[in-house]
Amino acid sequence: MSADPYSARVREYFANPAHAGDLGDAAAADIDDQGVRLRLTARHEDGRIVALRFRAWGCPHLIAACEAACAGYEGREADELLDFRAVEIMRNLSVPVEKTTRILVLEDAVRSLGRSICDSSVP
Amino acid sequence: MDAELIYLDYAASTPVDPRVHDCMRESAEATCANPSSTHAAGRRVQAIIANAAGQLAGLLNVDPATLVWTSGATESDNLAIAGGARFRAHRGKHIVSMKTEHKAVTDVFETLAKEGYDLTWVEPGSNGLLDPAVFQAALREDTQLASIMYVNNETGVIQDIDALGTICRERDIQFHVDAAQAVGKVHIDLAALPVDLLSLTAHKFYGPKGIGALYIADRPACHVEPLLFGGGQQRRIRPGTLPADLIAGLGMTAEIAASRIDDDLAHLGTLREILWNGIREVPGVLVNGDLAGGFPGILNVSVEDVEGESLLLALEPLCVATGSACNSRAQEPSYVLRALGRSDSLAQSAIRFSMGRPTTSAEVEFAARRYRDAVARLRELAPVAAA
Repeated sequence: MSADPYSARVREYFANPAHAGDLGDAAAADIDDQGVRLRLTARHEDGRIVALRFRAWGCPHLIAACEAACAGYEGREADELLDFRAVEIMRNLSVPVEKTTRILVLEDAVRSLGRSICDSSVP
Repeated sequence: MDAELIYLDYAASTPVDPRVHDCMRESAEATCANPSSTHAAGRRVQAIIANAAGQLAGLLNVDPATLVWTSGATESDNLAIAGGARFRAHRGKHIVSMKTEHKAVTDVFETLAKEGYDLTWVEPGSNGLLDPAVFQAALREDTQLASIMYVNNETGVIQDIDALGTICRERDIQFHVDAAQAVGKVHIDLAALPVDLLSLTAHKFYGPKGIGALYIADRPACHVEPLLFGGGQQRRIRPGTLPADLIAGLGMTAEIAASRIDDDLAHLGTLREILWNGIREVPGVLVNGDLAGGFPGILNVSVEDVEGESLLLALEPLCVATGSACNSRAQEPSYVLRALGRSDSLAQSAIRFSMGRPTTSAEVEFAARRYRDAVARLRELAPVAAA
């Protein structure tokens, strides 16, 4: 039998993406690249992310990575988004190397969102 | 198979009929002898093989002597195309096939190209059907072999083998048909059809894996060069000790199929209608192939603005295919659907449902619900597309 292409975490996040959604009038990052479409929206207070949501058109690994990223950054400082690294989430979710470019799109989106929030917070 | 899984991938492979199991076990228990042996035990095995040849010949309406046992359709395709083309190299080096053929055919053609053969790939229409006029226009004075599949493994489209074969006969072109998805599923009368070579495999119609056959016409006489060497079995066309138990299984598979093709077709037609009616209202859903004239055991659909890999996972516990099973693990869209003019995105979202004898109405009703729900969920998850 061939190996399951999806880790248990990917399956769990894909089946139950608790952070799927759109916060509407909030900080946002939109990317359409490498055959995937992404929208991240965030609410923040005093430089801290209080809510982070995603919408994604892409493979299960991408959707799971989005869910993991949103879950992982809620409650953290917005400038931490600037340090988001695709390689860590790929390792945690066991994303195959051929999906790297897709997860790099998420990296671009997360960092773009971080810059957007940080820039808007500058007095 | 896990009880919770719903298997709708019968075009990839089918379960072995219990009667075929019994037949193979009885064959195995009868004797372990080599069918090439001349002693009594060997003759017993020869009788088992002869009986199976008669059963398969009955299904196809041919002389049993025209059948060569192989390991399956891939080997049969290789033997027919490479062996057939090489045998007739003096006749010309132009060979013709279609863009929607199985890899077991296209890869052999590509191999022959490296030997100096000139290939022409004819294109089907957007419904997957090959227009005989298009086919005829591709033929040349030096065309010596053509290969067109009977039932397409991805779309279920049935080609007009009679018309295409007639065109070949008129031009002394050897005509091979990959019938892996057709034998035992649709009526095939090779006494009436102008086919020179026909490939089949047992596991596509409720027989065991590892056994198939190649029909080599005797009238007009058709010849192929062997691909294997090492013994005098099967007139040296395909040497090697014959797997009598598997052959017995293929024979029984054929006998069972012959007795129920019409019932199977009616059953599959009902199931496909239920399935299609259950998903046809999904916005942006499109049939790949020819619903009216295609094999009813296959329904291949694409859907707009849904990512194919996520759709496949969201459809679990359905066991369906995104293309042919051979291609399903690849990321690139199906070349068959691209040949029908589907965009990369639509081809990548394609799902092939293939039903079989054990499939129930409840299963396809569940599949339709699952498909509707999965498409809706993934669309809800996606960002609104830019205008």
